[in-house]
Amino acid sequence: MRVLVVEDDMMIALLIEDMLIDLGHEVIDLAMRLPRAEELAKSADFDLVILDVNLDGRKSFPVADILADRGIPFLFATGYGASGIEPAYAGSPVLTKPFLAGDLQAAIGRLVAQRPYA
Amino acid sequence: MVATQAEQDDGTVFPVGGGETGSLIRAFDWSVTPLGPITSWPQSLKTVTNMLLLSPVPIVLLWGEDGIMIYNDAYSVFAGARHPQLLGSKVREGWAEIADFNDNVMKVGLSGRTLAYENQQLTLTRRGVPEPVWMNLDYSPVVDESGKPAGVIAIVVETTKRVLAEQRTRQSEARFRALTNATSDIIYSLGPDWKEMKQLYGRGFLSDTDAPAIAWQADYLFDEDRPLVQAAIDEAMRKKSVYQLEHRVRQVDGSEGWVFSRAVPIFEEAGEIVEWFGAASDITERRRNEEHLKLVVHELNHRVKNNLAMIQAIAMQTFRDASDLKEAQRRFSARMVALGRANDLLTGELWVGASLRGAISQAMEPHCPDASRCLVEGEDVTLSPKTALSLSLAVHEMATNSLKYGAWSNDEGVVDVVWKIYERADGARRLRIVWRETGGPAVSPPQRRGFGSVLIERGLSREMGGEVKMEFLPSGLVCTVDAPEDPYAERPV
Repeated sequence: MRVLVVEDDMMIALLIEDMLIDLGHEVIDLAMRLPRAEELAKSADFDLVILDVNLDGRKSFPVADILADRGIPFLFATGYGASGIEPAYAGSPVLTKPFLAGDLQAAIGRLVAQRPYA
Repeated sequence: MVATQAEQDDGTVFPVGGGETGSLIRAFDWSVTPLGPITSWPQSLKTVTNMLLLSPVPIVLLWGEDGIMIYNDAYSVFAGARHPQLLGSKVREGWAEIADFNDNVMKVGLSGRTLAYENQQLTLTRRGVPEPVWMNLDYSPVVDESGKPAGVIAIVVETTKRVLAEQRTRQSEARFRALTNATSDIIYSLGPDWKEMKQLYGRGFLSDTDAPAIAWQADYLFDEDRPLVQAAIDEAMRKKSVYQLEHRVRQVDGSEGWVFSRAVPIFEEAGEIVEWFGAASDITERRRNEEHLKLVVHELNHRVKNNLAMIQAIAMQTFRDASDLKEAQRRFSARMVALGRANDLLTGELWVGASLRGAISQAMEPHCPDASRCLVEGEDVTLSPKTALSLSLAVHEMATNSLKYGAWSNDEGVVDVVWKIYERADGARRLRIVWRETGGPAVSPPQRRGFGSVLIERGLSREMGGEVKMEFLPSGLVCTVDAPEDPYAERPV
């Protein structure tokens, strides 16, 4: 899978990238702040997104809106857990930090399986 | 058979009946008093004596100038331990403690006038100790056969219990008024069914209700809270017991406040509720603090998890390609210490922003061999907490590498960190940070990218939204970070 990572913490971003690469995925880009994340969500070419909720104090839901419009699946990765997700995205898959590579792979598997055209 | 003193010349007995006191009067030796033997009493005295003895009301007759006392059973109860000594005594001597009062009574009564007192207080000694006694006293003259006043008859109704009860009620009311003035609580009273607010002192927090109001719920409550409040009211009315609830209220200025409200039912004698009386304290501040605390705890939980994820990331990076486990453990510990120090830096700024100088200095200091060999120059810049943390971790890696391979690995090399804000040709404001090592051993690009390089090249560049250049010059390593001053001001095209 070609994955966009949106994560504001440098260390965690590197970890998620390494996990994805180890799992055989391709990280097409990393956005660490909201403007860059919105930019990439609109224009870049990828299959799914790992989306942090809090980007340096700003919520990433505008990015989720763009992805929902484009029909691109995403999963939230956050320390807030499901309680920090806006009601509009209450049904979206959530990975609670910290997580293992296996958790990430399982979540990606479920996300892909849910797609009607996958 | 010995005739009693009271046996009359015609063989009849005087006085008739009169209970215990009647018997005492019959047995009394009246010849030692100014009244003389009972057989010689004038008819007027006998008639009044018979009349008072048959009355259930406490009555005393004071006969003659001396006011010789003749009374009934009801009066003997009033007199307490002073009875039966009082019988036949002169009133000024019998009630020596109020001789002046009775002196006036005798003078007025024998002059043919009446006296009336309501709740008159006198201090009497009836049970060994002086005590205040309240009475309704009515004095009327009694005329003898000559038509002149010969005595005074007094109806004595003790009102002490009622007077004391009234005093207690007045004191209680005064205390209640003092309480409602002294407390900062809102005080309110409602009808038995809670439909009507009779009165509410709002203390400037809520608007006052001075006249009974039916629409009090609409005035004081927000519509969405009314079912909750009504449920608590229904429960209190069903149990006829304390009402207690914390709820939102509309303050005087229309804004939202919170009260802790308690009310108790007041019952009439038959056990029906006549009123609910309550007090409510303003807990708006406390509720705000609680809400704030909830947010803080939620946020703290998030940060703890984020930090754990960060530690997990550092552990992965440190141990993934480690050939020397002991060395990797040492590095991991050093990175934990660096992370801990960086967190101190952020909490010092309450996570709202951190100083660039602070982030760099506090990461360099623990490794710096000598103050003259670590130079930090530049006008301070405020960074977002995230960026400060990342920069701090990157500087930690640079510093440990310098100690191992670079300028700090010999006795004289210097690390110089300089930064400045400048304006690019296109007008964008940029921050440039230069880490320059000089005076160390000759360096060459490393065979393998270490964690430090990964962190700076893959991480810091994207963290700051700029470019990072690592140059391994013969004079030493030069690392240049060039990024927008404000990552939100500039959108990459």
